[in-house]
Amino acid sequence: MSESLKTKKKSNSISDPRYSCAVGASNTVVGIKGAVPIANCSPGCQLKQTAFLTFENGFQGSIYAGAGNMPSANSTENDIVFGGIKTLDQLIKSTLKVFNGDLYVVLTGCVGGLIGDDVSSLVNEYRDLGYPIVAVDTAGFKGNNLFGHEEVVNAIVDQFVGDYKGERKKGLVNLWSEVPYYNQNWRGDYQELARILRGAGFEVNVLFGPENNGVKDWLRIPEAQFNLVVSPWVGVRNAEHLQEKYGQPFLHIPEIPIGAEATSEFIRKVVEFAGIDKEQSEKFIEQENGIYYYYLEHFSEFFAEYWYGMPSEFAITADSAYTLAYTKFLADQIGLIPRKAIVSDDPPQKFREQIEKAFHNISEGVDVQVEFEEDGYLIEKSIKEVDFSSGKPLILASSWEINLANDKGALFFEVTPPSSETLIINRSFVGYKGALNLLEKIYSASVGGK
Amino acid sequence: MASTNINLNMTSVENREYRLGTIIGWDGKASDLIKESAYDERSAKKHGGCAGKGSGCKLCELASPLNQETMCSNAIVQCQVGNLTDCALIDHSPIGCSGENSKFNLSMHVGLKRRGKPLQNTLNISTNLKEQDMVFGASEKLRQTILDAKERFNPKAIFIGMACATAIIGEDIDSIAEEMEPEVGVPIIPLHCEGFRSKHWSTGFDIAFHGVLRQIVERHPTKKQNDLINIVALWGTDYFSEMLAPLGLRVNYLLDTASFEEIRQASEAVATATFCDTLGGYMATALEESFGVPQIDAPQPYGIKGTDEWLRAIAKVVGKEKEVEEYIESEHKRIAPKLAELREFFKGKNGIVMTGSAYAHGLISVLSELGIGHDAALVFHHDPIYDGAGKHQDTLKELVETYGDIPHYTVSKTRAFQLPQLLKRAKTDFLLIRHPGLASVAGHLGFPTLTMGDEHIPVGYEGILRIGEMLKGVLSRTKFNQVLKRNVKLPYSDWWLAQDDPFYLTHHPETLNDLPEPRNLKFSKDKESNSENA
Repeated sequence: MSESLKTKKKSNSISDPRYSCAVGASNTVVGIKGAVPIANCSPGCQLKQTAFLTFENGFQGSIYAGAGNMPSANSTENDIVFGGIKTLDQLIKSTLKVFNGDLYVVLTGCVGGLIGDDVSSLVNEYRDLGYPIVAVDTAGFKGNNLFGHEEVVNAIVDQFVGDYKGERKKGLVNLWSEVPYYNQNWRGDYQELARILRGAGFEVNVLFGPENNGVKDWLRIPEAQFNLVVSPWVGVRNAEHLQEKYGQPFLHIPEIPIGAEATSEFIRKVVEFAGIDKEQSEKFIEQENGIYYYYLEHFSEFFAEYWYGMPSEFAITADSAYTLAYTKFLADQIGLIPRKAIVSDDPPQKFREQIEKAFHNISEGVDVQVEFEEDGYLIEKSIKEVDFSSGKPLILASSWEINLANDKGALFFEVTPPSSETLIINRSFVGYKGALNLLEKIYSASVGGK
Repeated sequence: MASTNINLNMTSVENREYRLGTIIGWDGKASDLIKESAYDERSAKKHGGCAGKGSGCKLCELASPLNQETMCSNAIVQCQVGNLTDCALIDHSPIGCSGENSKFNLSMHVGLKRRGKPLQNTLNISTNLKEQDMVFGASEKLRQTILDAKERFNPKAIFIGMACATAIIGEDIDSIAEEMEPEVGVPIIPLHCEGFRSKHWSTGFDIAFHGVLRQIVERHPTKKQNDLINIVALWGTDYFSEMLAPLGLRVNYLLDTASFEEIRQASEAVATATFCDTLGGYMATALEESFGVPQIDAPQPYGIKGTDEWLRAIAKVVGKEKEVEEYIESEHKRIAPKLAELREFFKGKNGIVMTGSAYAHGLISVLSELGIGHDAALVFHHDPIYDGAGKHQDTLKELVETYGDIPHYTVSKTRAFQLPQLLKRAKTDFLLIRHPGLASVAGHLGFPTLTMGDEHIPVGYEGILRIGEMLKGVLSRTKFNQVLKRNVKLPYSDWWLAQDDPFYLTHHPETLNDLPEPRNLKFSKDKESNSENA
């Protein structure tokens, strides 16, 4: 741990934030096709979430009932004094009338939480009439947007998917991984993970993003053989809940695989767990490896021959999932030297030891002492203190670090929110295909005499 | 001036809806809204005169049961005092309230570049409140964060922004600011900007200005800077310097990207003007009332007539009447050929402006100069009067008298769901929009949009030409919007899309008793029979 993090008395303050609050999980709803979030919060709450999660995060943009289209109570002083239920009731009615929704999720923010509005009772009335509507408490003081994401998932499972007594279908897997919008490559990454699992012989229930088929995929959740959580910690709470609710087992793989070796190992783990036939998965692995190394061999010529300099050391700060996945790939597959890894998403205490361990064993002969820090001021200070040995280092961080990276003379690109110098449409840095994209991104920055 | 309207002794600001009679819902002819607004009567009242019977009564306002993602005063405070180069802003709130700080950091970077200042990040810090703080109070955390702000940034002043959560639990930021100030040694400025407080975010501008007026602007200036003019602005490119240099004036921009010293010296300036009376009215009026710096009582500097009169009013204050006439004449001559060319290009074109109110009036003036028709406009709020209440500050009346009536003049705060109706009933080829949330929806309906990020672009004579050139590029993008229109599905129901009245839900409240049947009831107790395998 760096000196600054060790000696500094831990304060509550956060500068240069890297996450938002629970009510930002409205974007988890937007990640489900045809679902409509209903924001039961103050004016400003959702615009701030949109600004952070979708705009200042690769300018991903939004879709359908997200961003400017999102219904919002925009609570007033009157609602604080007299209660906000009437305003919310009008909002729900008009949303049902004006929007085409397959699922409505009412997210209550700080105001409703503090004045004690009984939102659940109101929402239950509509659900009893047959409307697919769910209430979830996402007051900003309860936790960050990753916490809110897990709350929304559990609420939809409990209040929309409901009980299930039927069979489970062998080979059908529910895929739980990145947090929609917050993890800036989520759309592309879900597609690549789904492609890999399908290739390996699974039927994949994709719950968010371009390959999600809307709420009907959510209704299929209980039919799946098992839940697959590909993330250091986000989603484990949901999988545990599903296990309790439906007796559905889950497999937790903390590290999102990047590169052929890690992805092949990932596939074998999942196939082993599911007990499905290995013939197809082995054939797929062979085929994907062939393609991957066809490209990597070409790349290796650049790597060997380019004599105008390229980074040998790197520092990274992002959420647990990206920090672990990128560090592993760069350290284990490319041989870059990790000088600093800071996890900024405030993982629950019970996962920290496991995350630390994953970094310790990141590659043979490479040990990374991961730091947990959510205060941007301390994150920047910690990176500033790194004495990079020579040449241009690589810094993977947020736009808060642009000036710092310039001062360090580093190659820099954004991998975590806020990211205001990146435009993301369809991008993935994971799996077989994504690994090559990541190499392109890094080494494009080092060519051209930069 | 007969009376003082702005009370700088209080830490909090009276909301715009109470102070100015601001509304956020109205629909009709612009000329009718002018009548209903009764600007002259309100102005007489503001100036302490007899207002006569019935003046200052509340404007009729259309409420809406359906509202959508929008902005709040807390965010406005962040984009104002959160964008100073050497002052820190504490968000006294859970962390989500700081979500937009990264966007304001981008605005800061862009703004600093435009003004030729060195690049730096915003000095932002949050108390990062949790559930236990809601129960036990958050004052200790605020004290800690004040100390952290001092240690981290060594700022010239520290602002504290109130949020919904901290306002509800009754955090006493005034007392804490006062108590900590001697220890920290710089002004600590409490701002009562909780998001639920005012129905329109523009109250946030007034709150930010109020704070700096109370605790930063020099109360007893020892000198006057006779060549310095305050321009209340945002992050826009510095076009005002070239317009005011012929009058021998230097510009002091307030507040974005300003330093403590630039704000402090505002009371030494010779006058205050602005690019937008919505934004600048409070600051300019308080500087006039309490610091003796006159505000410019003139139309806003948009279009030829507005710019002429704005320049003349400033010239009068600094005694440059002769110089200004020479400048005006030469500028008219300079832009004429290009303007004629642009008017030819835009013949038969129509545009719709959707921005805050006074700024919209300026933009519509510019479109008119370019010969672009404007059957409709949308403003996010309407202030029947501004704080200045000047004879020549009735911006809507000025617009309609100079450039003609607007048959579909709508006041509505960022309600994207009304766009299908608004765009169906008026001719338009493009939209000019400020504030997030509407442009992409209008784009899905097939219309190209110009998001006005650099708010100074349309200002002055050259502004007309700048906008004209930009709009050529915007019109060309119609191709992209037509692709979207052909292929992207809006989230709105066929029933809603078939309506013609954007305020149908308001005019027919009974319609909400007739909800659609729960569609496509996948939510069924009999789950097995429903689950199709996709």
